[in-house]
Order: sequence, then C-alpha cells, then structure tokens
Amino acid sequence: MRELVAFLARSLVDEPDSVEVTVVEADRATIYELSVAPDDLGKVIGREGRTARAIRQLLVVGSADANKRPILDILE
Amino acid sequence: MAEHDEPREGALLLDDDDDGLEPTTDAGPPPDDGKADEAANALDEVLDLIDLDVDIDIREDNSEQVVLDLVGPDAGRAIGKKGQTLDALQFIVNKIVNRPPKSRRHVVVDCGDYRERHDRGLVTMAKRQAKKAVEQGKVVTLEPMSARDRRVIHLSLAKFEGVSTSSHGHGTGRRIQIIPARSRSRR
Repeated sequence: MRELVAFLARSLVDEPDSVEVTVVEADRATIYELSVAPDDLGKVIGREGRTARAIRQLLVVGSADANKRPILDILE
Repeated sequence: MAEHDEPREGALLLDDDDDGLEPTTDAGPPPDDGKADEAANALDEVLDLIDLDVDIDIREDNSEQVVLDLVGPDAGRAIGKKGQTLDALQFIVNKIVNRPPKSRRHVVVDCGDYRERHDRGLVTMAKRQAKKAVEQGKVVTLEPMSARDRRVIHLSLAKFEGVSTSSHGHGTGRRIQIIPARSRSRR
C-alpha cells in the first residue's frame, strides 16, 4: 500500500520528486507517513480534508487482507 | 472492453418526466484533450494497486463529461459501503486529471447502473419525506449528503407541490431540510 500512497501523492502534487512515504509498523496499525513539499500540502489534504479522506478510503480497501488498520499520517 | 456496447444513458440522468433532473443530451463531441484515456489509465493504476479485479469501459466521452464503467468480479468491492469506494475513486481521478492549469472535464466513475439506481433511490426517498412533511406539517431534516446528492434532491422536489427545500450545516455535515408551505408547528 506504500505504492498506492506514493502514486496518488505524486499524481496530485506539483513537485512529485519531493514525495516520500515511510511505513511504520505498530501493534495494530500500519502507519503511512506521507511527506510532500510544503507548497503541496494542500493538494494532498484538499478542501475540508476531502482528498486525504479519499486516499484513506482507498488505503482501507487495499488493506482489506491485512490484519492491521492502515493510518495515513500527512507530515507537516 | 466491449461487453456493454449498446448505447445507454449517462449515469446522471433519469428518464422520469417529473423528477426535475434535466437531461444532458445536448452534450457535443469530446474535445481533443485525451481526458478519457488519461482518467482510465489513472483509475487502472489505482485499482491495480488496491488489488481490485475489475476492467474499465469508457461508457461516455463527450463535451460535458467522461463516464468510466467498472466491470468484473470485484465490482461490489469497488462500490463499497454506500458507494464510498466508488466516490473516493471518482474524487481522486478527477483531482488527478483536472489539475490546474489543464482544461477541466468532469469524470464520473460508475459501476453498472449503480449511480442511476442510487439517484432513483434518492428521488424516491425525497418524495416520501416530502409527502410526510406536508401531511404532518413539519420540517423534515434528511441525513448529511454530498453536494451532488443534495442537488439531485433539490431538483427532484423543485416541482413538488407544497414544500420547499434548503441546505443547512457545513462541510460533510450539510443536510437538506424539506419545509412544508404551511407549517402546523408554528401555530
């Protein structure tokens, strides 16, 4: 699912080369830490967080077979 | 690709006469912007990454919009609970292919007749609630809905005798109120 987050972020931002996704495994969750160029933050969050919510939804669908909950963390 | 090659109506139109949903049949030929392929490719990549086994048909490609249709064994999962997954796919694909400064064209992601059925369900529900508002003389407040779903309901009740509609609240909490012309609660 790291690739999903990276693909979506790279497709949405102005500076795709600055996109980084770090995966952190916790006990009951897999955390995807997404970092983008400061000017691109709004593009991955969206108005009222709608873009972030859509990414989270797709992350949940793609993680259906995993026994851990996926968490998208957008780093500021 | 060509499992459904008979011409069909767009996802957003209903053919009832009195539902207030205007047809969009005046749409012209598609501009040469490559949007349909671009959208299908982005969607294909996402579906592959989340491991859903569905194919994409380009059902509609005109001056107004592109409609992509998902067909295959994972169609149900692609729709998701209350259409959440289909809406997320559609939202993200639009964000990707309509980024400024590119020209905009709306992309609808559908799965069979899901959106048509969904709209019909909304219209049926809205009319039932409008009838209730009139009979009881009370304002009926609906569940929070997307802007698009609210629009379908506003339009479907525009010609409904004895009620008016308005939206209240903010963001994802915005909901429609169906207001009877003569409210008993105010007497």
